[in-house]
Amino acid sequence: MALLQTENLSYIYGEGTPFCVTALDKVNIEIEKGEIVAVIGHTGSGKSTLMQLLNGLLKSTAGRVLIDGEDIRSSKAKTLETRFRVGLCFQYPEYQLFENTVYEDIAFGPKNMGLSEEEVDKRVRVAAKYVGIPEYAFKTHPFDLSGGEKRRVAIAGVISMEPEILILDEPTSGLDPRGREQILELIKNYRDRTQKSVVVVSHSMNDVAKIASRVIVMYDSKVLMTGSVQEIFDQSEKLSEIGLSVPQITEVFAKLHAKGLPVSEKIYTTEQAFLEIKRVLKGGGVNA
Amino acid sequence: MLKDITIGQYFPLNSVIHRLDPRVKLLYTFVFIIMIVVANNFVSMLFCVICALSVTLISKIPVKTVVKGLKPILFIIIITSLLQIIYVKTGVPLVSFWKIKITSGGLLEALFMTMRITFLIVMSTMLTYTTSPTSMTNGLDRTFAPLSRLGIDFNIITMIMTIALRFIPTLIDEVDKIISAQKSRGANFESGSIFKRAKMLIPLFVPLLFNATRRAYELAYAMTCRCYNGGKGKTTMNALKFRAGDWTASFLTVAFVAGVIFLNINFGEYNAQFTFNTAV
Ligand SMILES: Nc1ncnc2c1ncn2[C@@H]1O[C@H](COP(=O)(O)OP(=O)(O)O)[C@@H](O)[C@H]1O
Ligand SMILES: [Mg+2]
Repeated sequence: MALLQTENLSYIYGEGTPFCVTALDKVNIEIEKGEIVAVIGHTGSGKSTLMQLLNGLLKSTAGRVLIDGEDIRSSKAKTLETRFRVGLCFQYPEYQLFENTVYEDIAFGPKNMGLSEEEVDKRVRVAAKYVGIPEYAFKTHPFDLSGGEKRRVAIAGVISMEPEILILDEPTSGLDPRGREQILELIKNYRDRTQKSVVVVSHSMNDVAKIASRVIVMYDSKVLMTGSVQEIFDQSEKLSEIGLSVPQITEVFAKLHAKGLPVSEKIYTTEQAFLEIKRVLKGGGVNA
Repeated sequence: MLKDITIGQYFPLNSVIHRLDPRVKLLYTFVFIIMIVVANNFVSMLFCVICALSVTLISKIPVKTVVKGLKPILFIIIITSLLQIIYVKTGVPLVSFWKIKITSGGLLEALFMTMRITFLIVMSTMLTYTTSPTSMTNGLDRTFAPLSRLGIDFNIITMIMTIALRFIPTLIDEVDKIISAQKSRGANFESGSIFKRAKMLIPLFVPLLFNATRRAYELAYAMTCRCYNGGKGKTTMNALKFRAGDWTASFLTVAFVAGVIFLNINFGEYNAQFTFNTAV
């Protein structure tokens, strides 16, 4: 049994008005313990809606969300419990900061959970460490931070609740390459140290290739494919049909391969590319 | 919850009402509001109600939406009705307890006021439901253009009004988003003591005000970059034209005004005693 699972989950915005939009149509996904799942798909494919259903913020039009096999809507207490177990960090979370200090903002979630003061303090420090916010910055006003720093404080605000499943909706959008790198790094770190699950919504195939252990591709309110990074990026034609691409480095290597160079086509990250080039230069052939 | 606030929203459909000249709609909505205030007996009120309902039906706006739009004023209606019921002492006494006497006159007066407020709001929302913000500004601009001769720059005022209207849905979306985000962090907006709930307004309003200010600056910069300088001498892409539908609307409005005046005179200021007796 999967940790978190959906059953024919559907959602319609503005049911019964001329603006009604089917945002999700019979979606079935599973999230296992300890994996990093990337959800990709172009704008409007229903990714954010799905994420809000997963932690019980939205109420599905049809279908269910199960946590440990139990409906998250079976009771009010269960829904509240799910909010804490499935931590959702919205897109552009920096616009939801409100406290006077960075510390207070990170502490908001754990305080709402009713934890003791020492426990809250411990969690704030741990979460801040994950996102790389030094302790001397705790007394800073969040509005005085840079965009990337604000984003990391906001993510810490969710991590501090120590959710079993951390969901991040487009955590790297609008950041510079360094900011992106830091966020990806912290996601991997969080998973490796805690063995908890992470779901990342992303537009960037490069990001996905770097961190995901499994990929879910959404298209037109439905799940189009799921599989490992390799399984998904092997179907580059299918991806480009729906307006997505494979990582840039994969394209480069596909072209090199097509030109007859003895390199593998199945290269998804720059690290792999580096090793592959080293191998080829040492005089190896294609081993695929 | 917040999605229920539909005042100031545009409902893009294709109906005769939607296609009317915005000036016509503005002016005649104003006329309707005056007439529903002038209506002084149940017959003329009923006439106003029927006219408002006809407009609603013709506009193709779902009745459900219109009813939902009334939710925010429910409170005002209830308070007004209660005051009428308590303070109006005409007509036949029905129930009395403690210091309160409920009379038939009070009940009828409450009903009358409820009809008046409800349909006043229905017609006003009809105006925004059927008129896109652009054509609304256009209409406002043209209606008040003569004021510029008095040295009042109405262009700026209409621009402010349009932006305000335009941003109502955006702000509502924003509030929804912030509430969702804070809920994900375990904030509880729905239960707890009044003190606790008041405290919960901080995580909502601080980001909201911050974002609204940021948005205002961004919009101002964007407008400046596109050479907005107060809109003096601004021309419009779609010049307003009086069409057949507008003439029909004008004719119907004149008929409506005449009807209300006729019914007002014919049935006189309504008298609770009289109305009650005939109703029984
Ligand atoms: N609050 C909302 N009200 C109405 N429609 C919405 C709302 N949020 C999203 N939608 C619609 O639902 C669809 C899916 O949106 P979303 O889940 O945000 O997609 P994504 O995150 O993949 O870009 C889109 O067509 C969008 O227009
Ligand atoms: Mg999204």
